[in-house]
Amino acid sequence: MKKFLWRLVDLVIAVIFIYAGAVKVLDPVQFANDIDNYKILPWTIGVGLAFYLPWLEIFCGLALIFRLLYRGALSILTALVAIFIIATIAAKVRGLDITCGCFGHVSQDWNFPAHLALDLVLLAGVILLFHATGAKPRDLKGA
Amino acid sequence: MRTHIFAFALSIVICVTAHAELKWEQTAVELHPAPTDKEAVGHFKYQNTGSKPVRFKSVHTSCGCTAAQSQKEEVPPGEKGEITATFKIGDRTGTQVKTVTVQTDDPTNVTTVLTLKAVIPQELEINPTFVFWGKGEAPNPKTIVVHAGKDFSVKQLKVASSSPDFQTKVEQTGKDQFKIDVQPRETDKIIAATLTIQPEDSSKIFYATARITNAPAIQ
Amino acid sequence: MKSLLVRQALILAALALVPGLGQAVYFRNRVSWRSPIPASEMITVTQARAWGGNAIWVDARPDEEFARDHVPGALSLNEDRWNELLPQFLAAWSPEKKIVIYCSSQSCNASREVAHRLRNEAQLPNVFVLKGGWEEWLRNR
Repeated sequence: MKKFLWRLVDLVIAVIFIYAGAVKVLDPVQFANDIDNYKILPWTIGVGLAFYLPWLEIFCGLALIFRLLYRGALSILTALVAIFIIATIAAKVRGLDITCGCFGHVSQDWNFPAHLALDLVLLAGVILLFHATGAKPRDLKGA
Repeated sequence: MRTHIFAFALSIVICVTAHAELKWEQTAVELHPAPTDKEAVGHFKYQNTGSKPVRFKSVHTSCGCTAAQSQKEEVPPGEKGEITATFKIGDRTGTQVKTVTVQTDDPTNVTTVLTLKAVIPQELEINPTFVFWGKGEAPNPKTIVVHAGKDFSVKQLKVASSSPDFQTKVEQTGKDQFKIDVQPRETDKIIAATLTIQPEDSSKIFYATARITNAPAIQ
Repeated sequence: MKSLLVRQALILAALALVPGLGQAVYFRNRVSWRSPIPASEMITVTQARAWGGNAIWVDARPDEEFARDHVPGALSLNEDRWNELLPQFLAAWSPEKKIVIYCSSQSCNASREVAHRLRNEAQLPNVFVLKGGWEEWLRNR
């Protein structure tokens, strides 16, 4: 039963990241502008990330679903969410008015607390998965 | 001590059961104003189905073209009322969607967004509404295509130019379809004209602009 | 254990590079790697200002707001009096100009609607909407 529940968490988190990645793949130019809004990275690096990050999200999401390269995917996703949360808080503290961009322009009308809440839940999710599957390093395929 | 606990518990029960609730008959209204209407008015009816009065904290429209009024600020339980949203049509065209955001002290529903959709009838569709020639460009005729809007039929078109510097020629190209050829007398001077376009049996006038512009220094 | 994790992460990172690079090539004409070009129709106050005299500023707000204060040199063009105001705007326009339209803030729709009409009805090129609107312009005054 426990395994089934963790599997479910796997799938939910994977789907969220695949969806987020897919939405950004559809409009990389907009995502590049969204990254630029945070005023943390130079424009050129932002463009590079705009083309690269969404695919990284999709591949990591797929890795979670198919349980391949599982721990690597989890660590990448954890890093992504953590960095994003820090960037969002930094922007808010600096008074920048940002439309998130993490879910593409579908999340345009969400507010800051809602976004932050979802990201914290995601972070908790990936960290929990990391620990839950830590005991069985060989359990990377199947089950 | 016992009575304190009892009173406390009772107050919680009362707080939970005594609730405010504002129910809306509909939160989206679609209007079909007539071509000559200047305004479109939407009525959003509500009723307080709870047991506590509900107060409107703010009624806020999405644009300056819509004014919204709630008749009362506080709605006692059981009472009905409505929010009237008046949308100033002006020279707007097509389907216009405006929203009214209502904030109340009803804890189950603090913010309600009321949507007013006004489908403004378009008798004529004119494409483009602006034709121009660069200074010195050959004064060849340029074409404006006009056709009747959805649900409309136009048998004849009256076109007039505000200036003799621009000549117009109207031709019917199909059912409910016309073309207007506009030609300037010369393109050496900066001149302009407003074209008034009117379906034969309608009082509504449509406009197009023709002018000579400063040509860009580098093409 | 750590090295396995790192290896997996590196594999994933490398895998994602493939479609990422592919997309970058595919979109190479749509985005400038050197500077932020307007994404579709939006531009920032900084970008608009950089256009200098080549820009023609348009205020899409209602008449009273325009009368109270507006960007110096901006023309009023709103949907309340479109038919009356359009010819005046067209008189100031010429083909090489970049049109910068603003309304009160990022969330108002008037600038986008005026942009839409200028592009579709009057068929004008180089129509842009000011990001953040009048509010943003005031902040950078």
